Amino acid sequence: MNRRFAFTMLAGVLVAASCSSSDSILESGNETPTTAASPTTVAASPGTDDTDAPPSSDATTIAPTTSTTPPPDPGLCPVDALENADGPVEVLFWHGLNGATNDGIEYLAAEYNASQSKVKVRLEPQGSYDSTIDKYVQTSQASRPDLVMFPEYMVQQTVDSDSVIPIQSCIEAAGFDTSAFRQATLKAYATAGVQWAMPFNVSNPVLYFNRRMFEKAGLDPDAPPQSLQELREYSQAIVDSGAASYGIAIDSGTDSGGGWFLEQWFANAGELYADNDNGRTAPATKVLYDGPVGVELLTFLQQMVQDGLAYYVGGNATGQDNFLKLADQTAPAAMTIGTSAAMGTVFDALDGGLIPGITNEDVGIGPLPGPSGTPTALVGGAALYVVADHGDETTAAAWDFITYLVSAQSQSEWAVQTGYVPIRADALSLEPVASTYTDDPRFRVAYDQLIGSPDEPALQGPILGPQREVRVVTALAVADIFEGGDVQTALTDAAARANALIADYNAYN
Amino acid sequence: MPAAVALLAPSTLVLVLFVLYPLGKAVVLGQQRCNVQGRNCVSNGWDQYVDTFMSAEFQHALWVTVKFALITVPLGLVFGVGLAVLADKHLRGISVFRAIFSSTVATSVAVSSLMWLFLLQPEVGALSNVGWLSDLFPVVKSPGLLRDPGTALTSVAMSSVWASLGFTFILVTAGLQGIPAELYEAAAIDGATGTRRFRHVTLPMLGPTLLFVLIVLTTRAFQTYGEIDLLTSGGPKPHDSTMTLTYLTYGQESIIRGNAGLQAATAVLLFVVLLGLSLLQLRGIGKRVHYGGK
Repeated sequence: MNRRFAFTMLAGVLVAASCSSSDSILESGNETPTTAASPTTVAASPGTDDTDAPPSSDATTIAPTTSTTPPPDPGLCPVDALENADGPVEVLFWHGLNGATNDGIEYLAAEYNASQSKVKVRLEPQGSYDSTIDKYVQTSQASRPDLVMFPEYMVQQTVDSDSVIPIQSCIEAAGFDTSAFRQATLKAYATAGVQWAMPFNVSNPVLYFNRRMFEKAGLDPDAPPQSLQELREYSQAIVDSGAASYGIAIDSGTDSGGGWFLEQWFANAGELYADNDNGRTAPATKVLYDGPVGVELLTFLQQMVQDGLAYYVGGNATGQDNFLKLADQTAPAAMTIGTSAAMGTVFDALDGGLIPGITNEDVGIGPLPGPSGTPTALVGGAALYVVADHGDETTAAAWDFITYLVSAQSQSEWAVQTGYVPIRADALSLEPVASTYTDDPRFRVAYDQLIGSPDEPALQGPILGPQREVRVVTALAVADIFEGGDVQTALTDAAARANALIADYNAYN
Repeated sequence: MPAAVALLAPSTLVLVLFVLYPLGKAVVLGQQRCNVQGRNCVSNGWDQYVDTFMSAEFQHALWVTVKFALITVPLGLVFGVGLAVLADKHLRGISVFRAIFSSTVATSVAVSSLMWLFLLQPEVGALSNVGWLSDLFPVVKSPGLLRDPGTALTSVAMSSVWASLGFTFILVTAGLQGIPAELYEAAAIDGATGTRRFRHVTLPMLGPTLLFVLIVLTTRAFQTYGEIDLLTSGGPKPHDSTMTLTYLTYGQESIIRGNAGLQAATAVLLFVVLLGLSLLQLRGIGKRVHYGGK
């Protein structure tokens, strides 16, 4: 290759790079846009070059694609197999917890290992939910863990992966009593009538606020705002009084202000986020967030930013930028919204004196202010999935560990250590959570807004196949809106991209 | 001949198994669409590569990556050579400075990125909250260097330049030590000043080293991932100001993060772009490099 050829090539690349009329990457290779692609034509020739896929368990036959799915076979989960095992059975558990929540799971696993000799649980922390997912997807079935924790936005993908045993099989095989459970926590991980995972660490977004700034602004720190209108009034009072530079710090992170909170606000307004009852009765085919409810909600938030009442901290790449705005020494905000699961980590940091001028006691926790003015919550956090094809004894051992983790006593300890919500009512009368909820009502807020939520489809939250990517798309729209973009245009564009993602997903799964 | 084959076999095996085979798989995967598991893949036609290359997202990421390389490579070269020349003196204690200048080579991307985050984070960052600095440049405090679409890429690039400085410094220092002292003496006798000696002796003799550093720095710039992931996650949104090709391929905030086929396509296209660029550098500049000898 001579030099002239090389320069020609570079020129070609640069010319191509300067072309501006291009389609979305999602349409690459498709003759027609994905939105028009028929799922059946593509799915007609599956599995031809599938060399390293493991033999699927019987679970494949019960993948629920319609609401008439038969119940899963209890035989999938031989819960008695542990009795025949000689020597302790090892259970490998992947989770995405970190900070105080990682300490909490290590404590529970150690207690469990010490309490019996049949099962030995080995934890492999993956650092985050997303790392857990990525690693799981890229690993062959045999090399996967025996038990895995996936966040709430992974339900449809895990179902479609054909790699887990529906936990309903175990519940039925063991005759496990779930009557004490908060039914919403179970329903969050069920689709088309099949219970796929066992809820374990349940959280939802709450309002974190600086009590001293509330007092300075003449607001009652024991009566935080519950409606969006109140949120605005409180912010106005805070800014006007000079108690803080901003009322609230908001972000456009995918698992916070740009995605997860939107889903929560839609539920609070009683609105569906996606069709087919949020994807619960059948896989969703489109999102519904570009209607009047979405426009009104985001126009309201945009107005808060433009009026200097809310401070927009960007995409929150660190996940802590919104919290750090409360610790800003020169231009702080008085409130922010974050997951209740961060309480333990936040309080630890404050107890350690990491933030000058703010102590643990200064932080107040209130319900997530929402459109309806009545606190509600979708079940967030993560759930436990039993991985298929790892042998009867291992399956039984994994199930045994699950029953320990969701026992009333474990849930009581777990809630106090982390800020997660107990998933069962009978945990509340047990120590340590019983006295913690009395002595420190901050821990109770997330629980109360969860049990206050009505039992209707909108409050089971959306499950979408490409939910992670859909949140990326909405986060871009929210960022655009917070920077002053047109709300309707941003939401319409985002919905179109989300629908393309969903169509693409449905075509190949 | 059989002996040669036997001797080559181990490295051939490793290369085939861990480089050629995955590369071949990636090329095939790049024209496919798969389910959520990256399995049951069906061919979507080779035009998937063309479409991916022409797509708005890829073009944007390619442009961001080129800009990133255009900032980091020249700066990295200038600072690396400058420091090496400064430290190329026979002074007492010079080894202390050499150790300091080369120390970033022992710093992982994660550590150096977090360090920069502690400096630049607008709410609590050490640099962002220096009063006179934020008075002079309000962007440092609000929205913050990493959050402003105009400064984000440059800020990430600075952290990258800093992190690769040690690598450049070590290579150039080695190159400098390979230049015979007689050349400088002859030049001095001919009346050449320091600047002329640098231009006409040091730079030509450093040619091969600089070419190597240039290619490696360019390749690194195109493959930068850790800094982006930790500092900006491809943001600030909605501008995707730091959405480089690698972040588009692997990043958690990428729209194709669940799509193995498209991810493979972008990865292979990055490979092609880099291959072309390296050839260009070798052919275009390589011929002008003076390799010494007869």
